[in-house]
Amino acid sequence: MKERLLNCAFKFLNSYFNSSKFACRSCSTKSKDDILKYQNDLFNAEKLRQKENIGRIEKIRVKYVGHPKNLDLIMNKYISTPFNCAQHMYEMLVRRSALALINGEKYWDMHRPLDADCELQLLHFQDEYPAQVNKAYWRTCSFMLGSVLSNAFKENIEIILHSFPKPNVRSGSFVYDVVIPSLPNWKPSIDELRILSAEMIKLSSQNLIVERLSVNEELACKIFESNKYKLEQIPAMSDQSLDKNIVLYRIGKHIDVSRGPMVGNVSFLGRCTITAVHKLEHNSENFYRFQGVSLPKGILLNHFAYSVLEKRAEKLNVGRLPWQYDDVFHPELQTAEATI
Amino acid sequence: MSKILLSAFNSGKHFLLNSKILSENNKVINGINLIQIRTHLPLRIRYPFWFLQKERATYYENLTKKNREFLQDVIEETFGPAITLHGIPTHDVKSPLLSQPFVRGKWNIKSQRCGLIGRKIGIYPMWTKTGERIVTTLIQIVDNHVIKYIPPEEFDPIRKPYNNIGSKKKLGCLLVGAESTDPQKFTKEYCGLFFKQGLMPKNKLGRFLISPEAVIQPGTPLYVNHFRVGQYVDVRGQTIQRGFQGVMKRWGFHGMPATHGVTKTHRRPGCIGMGRDKSVQPGKKMPGHVGYRYRMARGLKVLRINTKYNVMYVTGRAIPGDTGSIVYIYDTNVTHKLLNHHNPPVFPTFYPEDLEEPLPEDQFTPELFNFSDPSIMYEVPVAPKKKK
Repeated sequence: MKERLLNCAFKFLNSYFNSSKFACRSCSTKSKDDILKYQNDLFNAEKLRQKENIGRIEKIRVKYVGHPKNLDLIMNKYISTPFNCAQHMYEMLVRRSALALINGEKYWDMHRPLDADCELQLLHFQDEYPAQVNKAYWRTCSFMLGSVLSNAFKENIEIILHSFPKPNVRSGSFVYDVVIPSLPNWKPSIDELRILSAEMIKLSSQNLIVERLSVNEELACKIFESNKYKLEQIPAMSDQSLDKNIVLYRIGKHIDVSRGPMVGNVSFLGRCTITAVHKLEHNSENFYRFQGVSLPKGILLNHFAYSVLEKRAEKLNVGRLPWQYDDVFHPELQTAEATI
Repeated sequence: MSKILLSAFNSGKHFLLNSKILSENNKVINGINLIQIRTHLPLRIRYPFWFLQKERATYYENLTKKNREFLQDVIEETFGPAITLHGIPTHDVKSPLLSQPFVRGKWNIKSQRCGLIGRKIGIYPMWTKTGERIVTTLIQIVDNHVIKYIPPEEFDPIRKPYNNIGSKKKLGCLLVGAESTDPQKFTKEYCGLFFKQGLMPKNKLGRFLISPEAVIQPGTPLYVNHFRVGQYVDVRGQTIQRGFQGVMKRWGFHGMPATHGVTKTHRRPGCIGMGRDKSVQPGKKMPGHVGYRYRMARGLKVLRINTKYNVMYVTGRAIPGDTGSIVYIYDTNVTHKLLNHHNPPVFPTFYPEDLEEPLPEDQFTPELFNFSDPSIMYEVPVAPKKKK
């Protein structure tokens, strides 16, 4: 584990010093745009490489089970996604499907290519048991919050995205933990929180697809070479995964690491409020926990009931703190989680 | 003059004149409604730029039963437990005011006091001790709370009082609300008016112009004992909607005979101009819209007050409005019926916590006969026999 970390760090330093972009060794700041371009170039290159790696296109039989009627589809292996299956069937499924369920057991992103014969179910928010869709939605909200935060602050304020804990709808809020070295005691005003909420809605209106890409550890380290916290997390994540790969998600230009499935599109975000920012004390690093609450598009609620949700989301979220590696165990939350 | 009004109800975002009639006569749920209303409404309502939409467009929310009950629990936690106060279902709003920054003023003959918002609930006869029958109207004061005070320096209504424009009197404004309702029925902006004071949103709002010493702390509940038995009040209400009416009902014209050869002219106005003038005089009394205007019944005596149901009995049956309609009650300004030093009012309002003993349930004026009392016995004088 330590070796892996050192390996990663060495590669980071290597690439840093070998890069032709820097005139001098003491230059330590790349502009945000440059970093973003670099990340996206790597991401696009890897995506293209994986696509070209497919070779001969094979067919798979996908059995769609669900409304309005069960259908058998012949799709392309490693190319067709559940979204493509929906496109072949009904527009209603295209519009409302947020998550896919493969063989009744594995939750699958809408834009992730299928790799074998399977039974497909398309899940949506008005399902009878929407627990997993809600979880994916919560995860996507955190991911979007990360994207918003990386662009919301002024140019001179450096913001380093740390991570977000496992999504827990029952806790009342979705979370993103960040480090802002230059702001030791920041308390956002109501207007500033409103600006963040508005940014989330703006992002949602861009109708961006949530792209998924599975990459090896080395490439992940390269992509996140400017984020020291992500570099620490990547080896641990690759250890936990079965094929030692890291899963990256991208919306627009923002790339982040996450384990679980996300909903298919950013436009599923309906109402959203960023309710609070809590300062977390650790090792004199300025950790901030951004919290918000939201409802998926199409779920209607009056202002009074929604204000009850907002008030709840202001309280500090009990999800694991950024420096903890195990999820905080809360018995009352653990058991209840499955039902939502 | 007839107008055809096209209205769309599903957006809920437009302001429709005469919306009251439409809700009563037309059961519109969703979709476009084509209505012909023959009106020439007396009031041209022009809403100011800051006007708040009150009612929310309701939609099906698909909440579970548990969640709906939970929301009611939240309302109870925020505004107090659900109770029936004076016969009206409401919430026991604990006034958030521990400190009372407004000092209670002292009444003087020129003070203007706050009024109340009530509902006309019916008509009932009362009898005096001399046997005279007086018809009274019952008005129930429905869950009134003071919402806001606007001092005279800040109070600048768009519509100034018609009778004394440029008056030197510096009057403040008390905003009073009636009938606490579920906040989920209203828009967020309308509820904001009340939430700022920690109060539950009200169905009806009313303004009362007051002299600064009559100020009442926002959040104070107002009771019927704000008025005294024996004092005189003015009651303002919106008259019954009678629609387009002919000249006989509208202006009291006599019409023409029903028989004796009168052809096709029984209820018509007759001649509307003079021979020389080629035009009809402006303001000529003609058929038109009758009713649905605010009118004030002045100088009504308060004969009886019931503290259990917050009801007052006032003389007469001529209070504008249908039974069940909202009325606004003020201290009278009829010159010979004003409040004076002989019968000073409670000032600025009635506070039940000030009493040592609770008031009796019913308070009558001295001349009224209370049927719980024993019957009045009197001797009938016998006429003396005349001598032949």
